[in-house]
Amino acid sequence: MKNEIKKVIESAEQTIKSVDSIHALMQLKSKFIGKKSELTSLMKQLGSVSKEERPEIGKILNSAKQKIQQFLQTQEQNIKNAAYNHSLQKDMIDITMPGRKLTKGGLHPITKIFREIEDNFISMGFDIAEAFDVEDEYHNFDALNTPADHPARDLSDTFYVKDDILLRTHTSPVQIRVMEKYKPPIKIIAPGRCYRNDNDASHSPAFHQVEALVVGEGINFADLRDVLNIFVKKMFGDDISSRIRPHFFPFTEPSAEIDIACVNCGGKGCNICKNSGWLELGGAGMVDPNVFDALGIDSEKYTGYAFGMGIDRVAVLKYNIPDMRMLFENDIRFLKQFS
Amino acid sequence: MNISYNWLKEYINLDLSSEELEQKLTFSGIEVEGTKIIGQELEQILIGKIIDKVQHPDADKLSLCKVDIGDDVLDVVCGAPNCGKEQKIAFAPIGSKIGEMKIKKTKIRGQISYGMICSGKELGISNDHDGILVLPDDAPVGKNFADYLGKKDVVYELEITPNRPDLLGFIGIARDLSSLLNLKLKTPEITLKCVTENIQDNLQLANLNPIKCPRYTARMIKNVTIKESPQWLQDRLLSIGLRPINNIVDVTNFVMMEYGHPLHAFDYDKLDGKKIIVRDAYENEEFPALDEISYKLTKNDLVIADANKPIALAGVMGGENSHITSETKNIVIEAANFLYSSIRKTSGNHKIFTDSSYRFERNISNKTAEDVSQRAIQLILATAGGELLAGVLDSYPGKDTEINVSLRPTRVKKILTIDLTENKIIEYLESLGLKLIDKSADNLNFEIPHYRNDLTREIDLIEEIIRLHGYNNVETFTVISHIMDKTSFYGRRLVQDIMVKYGLFEIVNWSFADPQDLNKLNISDDDLRKNYVSLLNPLGSSFSILRTTLLPGLLKNLKYNLNHGTKDLKLFEMNKVFFASNDKLPTEEYVLSTVFTGNRDDTNWLDKPEQIDFYDIKGIIEDVIFEFDLKNCKFEKTTESFYQSGTGADIFWTGIKIATLGKIDAKILEKFDIKQTVFGLEIYFDKIISKSGLKEIIYQPISKYPAITRDISFLIKDNIEVNKIIHTIKEVNQKIIKKVVLFDEYKGKNIKEGIRSLSFNIILNSPTKTLTDEYANKLLNKIIKKMESEYKIEMR
Repeated sequence: MKNEIKKVIESAEQTIKSVDSIHALMQLKSKFIGKKSELTSLMKQLGSVSKEERPEIGKILNSAKQKIQQFLQTQEQNIKNAAYNHSLQKDMIDITMPGRKLTKGGLHPITKIFREIEDNFISMGFDIAEAFDVEDEYHNFDALNTPADHPARDLSDTFYVKDDILLRTHTSPVQIRVMEKYKPPIKIIAPGRCYRNDNDASHSPAFHQVEALVVGEGINFADLRDVLNIFVKKMFGDDISSRIRPHFFPFTEPSAEIDIACVNCGGKGCNICKNSGWLELGGAGMVDPNVFDALGIDSEKYTGYAFGMGIDRVAVLKYNIPDMRMLFENDIRFLKQFS
Repeated sequence: MNISYNWLKEYINLDLSSEELEQKLTFSGIEVEGTKIIGQELEQILIGKIIDKVQHPDADKLSLCKVDIGDDVLDVVCGAPNCGKEQKIAFAPIGSKIGEMKIKKTKIRGQISYGMICSGKELGISNDHDGILVLPDDAPVGKNFADYLGKKDVVYELEITPNRPDLLGFIGIARDLSSLLNLKLKTPEITLKCVTENIQDNLQLANLNPIKCPRYTARMIKNVTIKESPQWLQDRLLSIGLRPINNIVDVTNFVMMEYGHPLHAFDYDKLDGKKIIVRDAYENEEFPALDEISYKLTKNDLVIADANKPIALAGVMGGENSHITSETKNIVIEAANFLYSSIRKTSGNHKIFTDSSYRFERNISNKTAEDVSQRAIQLILATAGGELLAGVLDSYPGKDTEINVSLRPTRVKKILTIDLTENKIIEYLESLGLKLIDKSADNLNFEIPHYRNDLTREIDLIEEIIRLHGYNNVETFTVISHIMDKTSFYGRRLVQDIMVKYGLFEIVNWSFADPQDLNKLNISDDDLRKNYVSLLNPLGSSFSILRTTLLPGLLKNLKYNLNHGTKDLKLFEMNKVFFASNDKLPTEEYVLSTVFTGNRDDTNWLDKPEQIDFYDIKGIIEDVIFEFDLKNCKFEKTTESFYQSGTGADIFWTGIKIATLGKIDAKILEKFDIKQTVFGLEIYFDKIISKSGLKEIIYQPISKYPAITRDISFLIKDNIEVNKIIHTIKEVNQKIIKKVVLFDEYKGKNIKEGIRSLSFNIILNSPTKTLTDEYANKLLNKIIKKMESEYKIEMR
């Protein structure tokens, strides 16, 4: 019997080592240690072995079963390792091939600038106000201290729809619309589109502005300088300085123009800033008491400041765009640069 | 910390309801975290008088009583053996509640009873259930029993901030309220009589660590009688959740709650060597504490010891070897103060947190030790008798220096903005016990009371001033403006962002247009878009009107870019269009238009390029509909003349056309010189926003149970719309069928003309249970039956 057992072990070892699939291995398991295996039938014969031999044979049988189980386990691990190693080979990829990307869209640079400005001012407690693109002369001119015979009306070439109806030449009429409807304190910016009958390298007949108006008790010139300074630094960076210098607008007094240090040369002088070191950004000033008086706002009690600036120009400066007209060409190769 | 409203009234004549008091406390910085109303259940019980009693005709053990409740006399059936004529009793009228039982008019063996005479147990005030509660003769008939009992109370759970150790007792709270409410503080009046025998002859005190024990006082009473505390004392302790133990321990707890300063009583006869020694513990010294645990101390712990053993872990817990027992005759009252950081360390290291350690670790005053000692002696003599020995052992080595803080009234104004006169400032601070000791220009110098060692700087005083003045009495300036139309503003950003998400690029065109373009789009003359605004002085004929649609501009942008070599394009523009109006000014409306051509996605090596189709565009508008939460939108065949017939849709919401989409007719494209397929989508933004807000997100509960899915495929006539089919399926069980998703359509080979095969994925989920396969299959069969009967479907 010992011999038979030995043979079983030898044959099991050999066959088990030769298989290379888990499925085949399972079949061998039942063949060698299953219910109908040779080993099991040998175990059943244990009863017919003499009493003296029985403990020893029993032991040998058990250890034979353990050995075969050991062969099975080792081989199972071998097969799994081989499969894993194979998969490593198979899964090898070229990591330099491009990845799968979502098809991206993007906002127009003007919209991006609008949003940045809006968010900057919203964070400073401003509201957004809007009004009409097509305005009447009263809101575009008269209410802004610019009566019909005022020379300032010649400053702009205005598109007319009817005798007294026009396309707004600036966002300033929003100031009037807001002050007609709401009492101070007022703290708004008005982003929007404006129109002038002008079409050349530096003028577009439709262009974009942001207007600001702050009215309340104790609003002063320092507040204006302060908010302009904050705005410029938020938009263009902490190291870009700004200045205001005297100018004329009919609806502000004192009036000023806002300059920022040339974003191209940093103020040293270059062809973009015409060697001045400064770039003009917009106009500003303290609201003229006449404007308040015409609207029935007590100009003794309330003071205010206003400013406006061209958004297209901000976009051009901020993104270093060589020609403002590119903003309206809508070339997808241009637009994709801002997504 | 819990405080009782009734108890608090001992120290201040409060003229506030318990609700008003809660407000006052919270806004003075003593946050009320919870309130508990005690005696509420007795609120409806009345005091009655039995004016007549006869035997119940049909029951031996019952009697019929007539009960006078002041404004009425009621018949009541009573089963208590002790009930008798002329008794004053607690009466529960109809509608009142006794425990969980609501008292109703009842018939007991044929006799109507209009209420119930209560036992002490039923009222929850004693364990006596043998008979009714008989009240003293002077009980006022008809009056509220709860008031009579005086048990009605409100208990506040207070959060005392760590900077205010003075608020850790009733007197401290009352003191703060007295300055807030401008009321007089009433502190206990104490006069003590002692015998001639002196404590010096009985006890010696040695303070070996004056840093950790800045003050230690001991007084002695001989021949006390240990017993239960009187009812009033037990009631006080019970009202705030403290368990009465015996008269001595109860007094120390009571006084701790009064003054916020803990104290301790020792059994004098258990002190070896008749000595009290304040010393550092020895390393590994064993200390058997009151909680029956023996602690192993370290040299960082401070103990109170006698000649041989530690008898208390200083300021934290007394010892099991020296505490008051029923045999105790002679006692020592300790009132001391300990270094807060040391108490905190010991309590933390040994994980012993007691009412005592809680207070000592908050740095309380050395001075109150004397107050609590005297107060405890007074109450012990009153409740336990005995003789107070003359004298006190008092170790108080470092005399407390007075703290002065100066304050500039201009600084008060600068920080608080409120205008307060100097006198008002002084009044506020003096009400807190501060003393003005010096005054010069813009400078007030105050002496700080010993119990407010949190006040050390000018800014601390400013905080006190505003606390008394009221935080909410400071004016605010900003007016919330309503100028901004947030819905429109953020709504526009939202749709722009949706377009960008779907891969579209934004275009900005001028507002000028060529009237000829409208003809190119086949827009009829009676269409609103022909009602345009013309310019008197245009740049040229192709810029002579204000645009009424953004589409021609976009088609030109498309053409420009096709010419420049880009064949796959998705573009959108959002801006105003203008219509002539009878009003002075034209109508201005925001519109969003888009054009699509070429392949859906940028080319990559992984996926086959696919042409954009109608459903790409439809997905986008469906997303917009979802984002603005537009319910019940209807998709109808388009009436727009520029879409290829049968390929476009108009979308209606609340009866208004809010969008159109479709494939732009090839003949129209020809006029714009475009040769490849183009799809368009226009969204009339202002039409949406005039009636809809931005989507409000409100959390919906999600099922705890897993969802299961079933697929279903069938043949169906192809004129039955998928929308309708999904609706019909959902109708079978709205609660369980969460989603019905179309995942395949097939027409053609092997399927008759006019028929299509549709496949749906049905997601089932119950909010209350895990669905079984059996259940899902049953439901699926129901769906199939319904579909077969309604649409004559044929299962695949």
